[in-house]
Amino acid sequence: MVPASKFVNWYYSQINEGKGVSQSYVTNNDTYKNAGHPPADICVNGLVCPTPEDWEKILAQQREAPKATNDKKHVSYVVDTFDAHVINADYRFGATQNLIDIHGPNDGVRMMIMVNVSGTVYFGVSKRSNEEYSVKQHFNDVFILVPNWDSLAKQSKYGKRFLIASQTYRAY
Amino acid sequence: MAPPTGPRGGSNNRKPTARASRGGVAKHRAATRTDRDGDVSMGAPISGSNPPTGPSGRGTRGRGAARGAPARGSRTSSRLAQNLKNYIGEGGSKHAKTTLKILGVKNSKAASNSDGGVKGLLQFIERKADKDKKIVLGRGVLDGDYVWVKANKDDVSSIMHLNGYQYAGAPITIEETTEPFPTGTKFSKDAADTRQKLLALLAKRYNAEQKLLDLSALGTDDILGNLGAVGSQSLAEKSFRAIIHVAGEQFKTAEEKRQGIQSVSLARNEISDVDQVFTLAYSLPHLRRLDLSNNRLATFSSIAKWKQEFRYLEELYLVGNPVTGVADYAVQITQWFPCLQILDGNIVRSPQEAAEALKAMTPQPLAQLPSNLRDGENNVASIFLRSFFQLYDHDRPALAAQFYDAESVASLSATPEPGRDVEWKPYMKYSRNIQKLGGSRNPAVVQRLFTGASLIAEMWKSLPATRHATLDQPELWIIDCHTFPHLADPSGHGFAMGLMINVHGQFEEADTTEELYGTRTFSRSFILGPSKPGAPHPYRVLSDQLTIHKWTPRAAGAASVPVTTGAPAAPIAPVAPVVAAVPVIDDATRVQLIQELARRTGMNAQYSELCLSGTANWNFDLALQSFEEQRANLPPAAFTAPA
Repeated sequence: MVPASKFVNWYYSQINEGKGVSQSYVTNNDTYKNAGHPPADICVNGLVCPTPEDWEKILAQQREAPKATNDKKHVSYVVDTFDAHVINADYRFGATQNLIDIHGPNDGVRMMIMVNVSGTVYFGVSKRSNEEYSVKQHFNDVFILVPNWDSLAKQSKYGKRFLIASQTYRAY
Repeated sequence: MAPPTGPRGGSNNRKPTARASRGGVAKHRAATRTDRDGDVSMGAPISGSNPPTGPSGRGTRGRGAARGAPARGSRTSSRLAQNLKNYIGEGGSKHAKTTLKILGVKNSKAASNSDGGVKGLLQFIERKADKDKKIVLGRGVLDGDYVWVKANKDDVSSIMHLNGYQYAGAPITIEETTEPFPTGTKFSKDAADTRQKLLALLAKRYNAEQKLLDLSALGTDDILGNLGAVGSQSLAEKSFRAIIHVAGEQFKTAEEKRQGIQSVSLARNEISDVDQVFTLAYSLPHLRRLDLSNNRLATFSSIAKWKQEFRYLEELYLVGNPVTGVADYAVQITQWFPCLQILDGNIVRSPQEAAEALKAMTPQPLAQLPSNLRDGENNVASIFLRSFFQLYDHDRPALAAQFYDAESVASLSATPEPGRDVEWKPYMKYSRNIQKLGGSRNPAVVQRLFTGASLIAEMWKSLPATRHATLDQPELWIIDCHTFPHLADPSGHGFAMGLMINVHGQFEEADTTEELYGTRTFSRSFILGPSKPGAPHPYRVLSDQLTIHKWTPRAAGAASVPVTTGAPAAPIAPVAPVVAAVPVIDDATRVQLIQELARRTGMNAQYSELCLSGTANWNFDLALQSFEEQRANLPPAAFTAPA
């Protein structure tokens, strides 16, 4: 599951570095929006976030520690395990006929994938190696990913191959 | 952390031959001391005043006390003294390694190398000892005709093969020895000497009862004075670092150190900037009390370097420093140390305020909301999960038949705790952790993905018996679910709605093969989609991902015990499961189960049925288990006649 690996690596390195992830949701993709796809379903610890930006805000809030120095404002996600299943090998919503013709249902491109990630989230870790974290939690993130038709149409080597249609997050 | 430094002599100071053939610990140490007294000129007054060390292992303590003021002898920590004794007495032998003595380098051509050929010899052995395994030797020491080196116990046999080999034109002889490794191996002799003196200093300045390391007025300390360590600022800073380093080394773990040294006094040390003693913040970050009184700290900036350190500091004394006269002194200092409650004897924060201030220092986890169920009008998720876990606990084949079809996909992944492989064994052979297996190139990624109801049921069969809590105890479960569009419709045309369910909970486990019993926490996510025509339910499981992990959800309660080997805390198998609704098993399945049990056990159909319909409640694994338990009590009539 190369796409899933790439996605997982990219996603958690983005949020560990406090960088944006909102552009990787179908909500912010014009092709999906124009085709009438509903906004991505994001549920964080039981709270539904209407937009990916709300989730980014929650992440920023989570990093916030009014009295901490910058190096201790880290919230660090470490992936212990992930698994992925193709749940629709012939995904075609929002795809142009051309893309459907090029990519058959078995070539692993037009896939809807469920990715299940588990790991540890450390709060307040400084960059200094001998400093311990103050709190840690277990986290579990379940994504449903769908193809990014824009990047497929461009046939670019770069760019996000998949977009997030659903995310269910729990940390405890 | 810089290693302890002391004035180093040139390498020609070494007189290894003087220590050529030493015997036991006590004798060896006594001799070393004589050696030092003879060689070292700088410590003359102290060395001269040293009482002769007796053969007893308590020499260190006696020396330390004798050198310092006698009044302080009573404050000498017995623990530190013990630690010091251990250090000196055992040398480096506390690590499970074997000491080897190698003879022959003196006669080799390498003897004229600058290191006497030690490096070359050890490289030779590392290279030649084992062609399959990389062998790493410790640092070698040339002592007399022998090279001393430590090796891992496992490697010794392969190293011994080289006994009699030629190295650089001379045969080498390798022998194992229990003799102590020559001392002074890690440091030059002068450094070791300095180290001894620092240990003596620590011994007299550590108060075990108060967990106090009293480093006040170091400038007037005899030992440091005699070492010449306080002559200049840079020397004083270096020796302070060395003291802190050596003090830290006396504790095996960070926790021991944290407990052992809770207070430090640096009073009367003419410190004008904490930078001079900054290392304290690295070495003892959990310090609770710090005395900096009567130094020369004049401005905030002279303390500012510590403002993000000592997060747990509760008491600080700065009296006798010019900075105490600066405006807002107390306010500023209190702000810098979040836990500070007493400054110069005045209460500046309550313990509650300190706890809150500490919390503001680090990011905090997100709020936790209860289960979020958005599964439409028909409560599909809760109905499905009820049947699912009941059947999973009692009748996995029936579960696979009811909710899974040829297109269903299932896998599990497990994240074992380090060092507890046994407890995770039942799951590891199936664990499809792509993070660890590393992408599609690993065949296990494909092999551990189970497609189709029959394969899935087969895999479940070899997983341990489980018992999940009922869904009527919502505090034990977190369930999030929502519908989503664009699954493939089983008819082949158009899209279908799906239901994503993510469950977090725990189950009791009884693995009779591996003798594992206890509670595990898990996360399990399902994708439900519409069934094909003719299926028992309108929906089916398209995807089932089980993650077993070591974490206990906060609501799990104290009653749960992690899975361990040994006697079952809460036996699962022998107890009749309290099932509200018996899983629906049709007659055909029963007949199959009876036949299978008969085949596996050799019992006849009548007894097989009795076994299954009894406490096992048509759970095949339980029936098999109760058969094993009751086997001895069964009458011969229970078995089919051998063919």
